[in-house]
Amino acid sequence: MTDIEIDINGNIVTAKAGEMLIVVTDRENISVPRFCYHKKLSVVSSCRICLVDVEGAIKPQPACSTPVVQGMKVQTQNVKTKNSQKSVMEFLLINHPLDCPICDQGGECELQDLAVEYGSDVSSFSEGKRIVTDSDIGVLIQTDMTRCIHCTRCVRFGVEIAGIMEMGGTGRGENLKIEPFLEQGIQSELSGNMIDICPVGALTSKPFKYELRSWQMNSISSIARHDLVGSNLFVQSYKGKVKRVVSADNDLVNEIWISDRDRFSYESLTHENRLLKPQIKVQGRWNQVSWEVALDYAIKGLNSHILKHQKADQLGGLVSNTATMEEFYLFKKILTEIGCDNIDYRLNVKNLDNTILLDSNIKLDALEKIDYALIIGTNIRLEQPMINHRLRKATKKGADIDVLNVMVFDFNYSLHTENIIAPNKIAFILAGVLKSIMINDGQELPDYLIAIDVDEIAKNIAYKMLNSDSSVIILGEHIINNVDASTIANLVAKIAKSANSRTLNLSITGNTIAANLVGCVPQNSGMNVNTMLASDMRGFILLDIYPQYNFHHLGAAIKAFEKDDTFVISLNSFKDDIVVGYSDVILPIASIYETSGTHLNINNDMQSYTAAVKAPNEVKPAWKVLKVMADLLELPGFNYEDSTQVLAEISYQSHVIHNHDIKDNLTSYHNGISVIWQNSPYSIDAVLRHSETLQETKIGQMNNAYMNQTSAKTLKVSVGDKYLGVLVIITDTVADDCVFINANQTTNIYGQV
Amino acid sequence: MIKKINKLIKSFTLNELRIGLKITVKELVNKKITVQFPEERTPISSRFRGLHALRRYPNGEERCIACKLCEAVCPANAITIESEMRDDGTRRTTQYDIDLFKCIFCGFCEESCPVDAIVETQIFDYVFESRKGSIMTKERLLEVGSQNEKVINQTKLEDAKYK
Repeated sequence: MTDIEIDINGNIVTAKAGEMLIVVTDRENISVPRFCYHKKLSVVSSCRICLVDVEGAIKPQPACSTPVVQGMKVQTQNVKTKNSQKSVMEFLLINHPLDCPICDQGGECELQDLAVEYGSDVSSFSEGKRIVTDSDIGVLIQTDMTRCIHCTRCVRFGVEIAGIMEMGGTGRGENLKIEPFLEQGIQSELSGNMIDICPVGALTSKPFKYELRSWQMNSISSIARHDLVGSNLFVQSYKGKVKRVVSADNDLVNEIWISDRDRFSYESLTHENRLLKPQIKVQGRWNQVSWEVALDYAIKGLNSHILKHQKADQLGGLVSNTATMEEFYLFKKILTEIGCDNIDYRLNVKNLDNTILLDSNIKLDALEKIDYALIIGTNIRLEQPMINHRLRKATKKGADIDVLNVMVFDFNYSLHTENIIAPNKIAFILAGVLKSIMINDGQELPDYLIAIDVDEIAKNIAYKMLNSDSSVIILGEHIINNVDASTIANLVAKIAKSANSRTLNLSITGNTIAANLVGCVPQNSGMNVNTMLASDMRGFILLDIYPQYNFHHLGAAIKAFEKDDTFVISLNSFKDDIVVGYSDVILPIASIYETSGTHLNINNDMQSYTAAVKAPNEVKPAWKVLKVMADLLELPGFNYEDSTQVLAEISYQSHVIHNHDIKDNLTSYHNGISVIWQNSPYSIDAVLRHSETLQETKIGQMNNAYMNQTSAKTLKVSVGDKYLGVLVIITDTVADDCVFINANQTTNIYGQV
Repeated sequence: MIKKINKLIKSFTLNELRIGLKITVKELVNKKITVQFPEERTPISSRFRGLHALRRYPNGEERCIACKLCEAVCPANAITIESEMRDDGTRRTTQYDIDLFKCIFCGFCEESCPVDAIVETQIFDYVFESRKGSIMTKERLLEVGSQNEKVINQTKLEDAKYK
C-alpha cells in the first residue's frame, strides 16, 4: 500500500491508501467516538456515532468504514460533525434506560461518556421505552439487554474470535434483540472478553455484580499464570482484595483477549480455605503459631532429621509448576547450598526416562502466520485457549490443520483431517511421516524406520508438511505419559528438522519454562521425583504441592510423605486435608497477585510483575519465606531485599536436553489400554480449583471417563459406572485401547493408573 | 466653663440613666424576640443542611441503590458504602456510614443522589455520647429518615421549584 497524505482538522498526516479513516485517527490520537467499531473485529458501521465531516461528501461519513484517499480533507470537530454525532446520540438514547446509577458499567461506559459530552439534558422522545427480557447466559456473564445498543460487538466476537456463534440478533428494527440462540448459556472458554468489549452495561461480570464502582479500584498491571502464554492483564483491587481482572493490550502475547480462567481465577484469593497462619505439628497435634516459632521448628526439624546426620542426600525438594521464577531459583539455591541435589518439578510424569524433551521455537504472533499445523495429543481449545485462538486466526487465512488425537474434541475451526489414533500407535504414524519425508528428500533411512509401514494418514501429513512454507508441529499434554512419549518427542523434532518446520511444546504448562531455565531438576547425581518417592527419605520441602492433583504416582507420594520419621515442610496457599495429614510444618504462602515475581512464557518473554494486593493475614510471599529459611540455616548469599534482586542473579542454566534414542522396537505396539488422565482445564492448579464460579461452568464441571464399546467391554464397565472414580461415558469418538479422563477438582485420585 | 455646667446639670438630673431606662421601658412593652430554646425554635430555611437522613419510599422500601455517587462526590471523604446484590436481585447497600466529624455539611451528597435517598434534614441539635457515635450507620440514618419523613418531604417540596 502506498503512503498518502490526508488532512485531518487542518493537520497533514500520512496514511496508507485504503486504510479506514478511524485507524488513521486512532494512530494520530485524534478522538473519534465509536460503539460498534473494535480494532480486532470486523467493521459493520451500524452505530453511526463515528460520523465525521469529509470535504466533498454532502453527508457526514462514518470514519470506521470510509477508506482514506489522497488529498482527503476531514473535520472531526466542526459543527457539522458534532451535530450529526449529537443526533445519533439522541437516537441511541431513545431506548437506553437511564439506570446508570445501578449499572456496573457506570463510570467506565463509552455511552455514558458520550452522553455527557453530546447528550442533551432533555429528550424530545416522550413515548415509552422498550424493555427486553434477559436470558440467563451462564454464571460468568450478567446480561441486561434493555441496555443493549445493538453494536453487535458480542455477536461478532462469537463469530470471529471465539469461533462459536453463541449470541445473535433476532428480529429487526425496534424488535431487534441480541440473545443466545440456545438456552444452554455461553460455552466459550474466552467468553469473559464479551464483558470487556461491550461498550455499555448489557454484558457485565456476574461474580463482580453490584460490588463496586469502577473508580473505586486500584488497577495494577500483572501477568496471568495459568498457562504458557502469560497473558497481560490488569488486576483491580479494593481495600486490599482483588475484585476484578481485565485484559491488557499486548499484541505479541495475548492481543487484547484473555481466557476465562485468567479472568475469573482471582475469586480463589478470598476462598475460605486459604491458609492464614503458620502451623506446626507437635506430638501429633496441630498448633497455630507465629512465624518465628514455625520457622524455628522447621529449621530444628531439618537439623535433627537431616543436617546433623550429614544426610542431605536424603532430603527431597519438590516444587509445583505454579511458583514464580524467583521462587524456583531460591528453592534450588537453598537445597544446593545445604548439599541436597534432589530437586524436581516434573511431578506428573510417570516415567522420567520417557519424557518429552522438545524445545518450542515459534513465537505466539508467528503462529497466526503459519499455513500448516499438526496438532498431536491436546484438546487445545480448552487446554490452551490463547494459543488455539492464534491457530484459529491462521485457519481463517487459509492454514490447514491436521490433528492426531485420542478422541474427537471440539475445535472452533474446521480441520483438514482429524485422526483418532490409539495412544500406542501415535509414534508409528509419526515414524511413517518421517519416513515418507525422508524418502521424498532422498535421504538414507535409519534402521528403525525401515520396517515402518507408511499409511494414508502419514502420507497425507507428510505431503502437507512438505508442501508448506511455514508449518508447526504442536505436541500436547496428552502425550506426557504415553508409552512412547520420548520417541514421539524425538520424532517430532526430527520431522520438524527434515521438513523445515517448527515445534511448539504444549505438554508443559504454568511456569514450567522458568523452572526449567533455573534448573529445578536433579543436580549432579541427585534423585528425580519418582526415585525420591521410592526411596527412604528423611525429609521433604514441598512448595505449593497438593499431591492428589499434582503427582502421577499419587499413592507413592502420599506414602513417602506420611512416613513417621520423614520430616515434611509444606509451603501452601490453601488448606488441604492430605497436606495436613503428612506435614510437620505448614507455612502459608501468598497466592497469585499477592507476590512479585516473573513468568516465562512460550515466547521466552520474562514478564515480571509486582504484587497487586498484600497477602492476607500472616501470609507471606514464598520467596521471602525461602530467604528467611536460608538466613536461619545460616547459608551465605541470601541478602535479598526484594524479588528483583533475585531475578538479577538468575542466569541461564537450563538442564542439558539429552535426546533419548528412538527405540528400535518401533515394530511392535505396546499392548493394553492406555489411560490418559487429564485435569480438566479449570482444575489444573490450586488457584483454579478454588475459584467457585469457574467450577460452576460447563468446562469446570467436566468430569468424565470416555471410552469406546470395546474398551468398556475389556474393562467391564458400562454407562453410569465409575472408572477410577470418574463417571463413564461410552462413545465411539474415542480411539481403541484408550480411556480419556477429564477430572475436575471433585475427583482426586490423579494418576492411580 | 459652659461644658462643665452642662455636665453638672446632666449628672444631677440622672440624664444617662434616663436614656438607658428609655430603651429598657421601650423593650418592656415591645414584642419579645428571644426564643426559649429548646421549648421554642426559630424558623429554619428549607435549604438548611443539618443532620443526614436516608429516606424510604412510601411502601417502606429504602431508596438508596448503592450508586456511590455521594461517596465519590464527598469532598471530605466522610461517606463509606459497601454494596451487594440483595436476594431479590436489586442493588443495595450493606453498609452506609457517614462520619459526622469529617462531614462539612456541603450538601453535595444530597445534590448528587439520583433517587433523593440521602438528604440533609433541618436537625442540628444532636449529641454523640461516644466517639463512635459520630459515625451515622445505615440503621441510624434510616431511623432519622423515617422519624422525620413528613418534614423532609415538606421541605423538599418547598425547595423543589427552585431546583
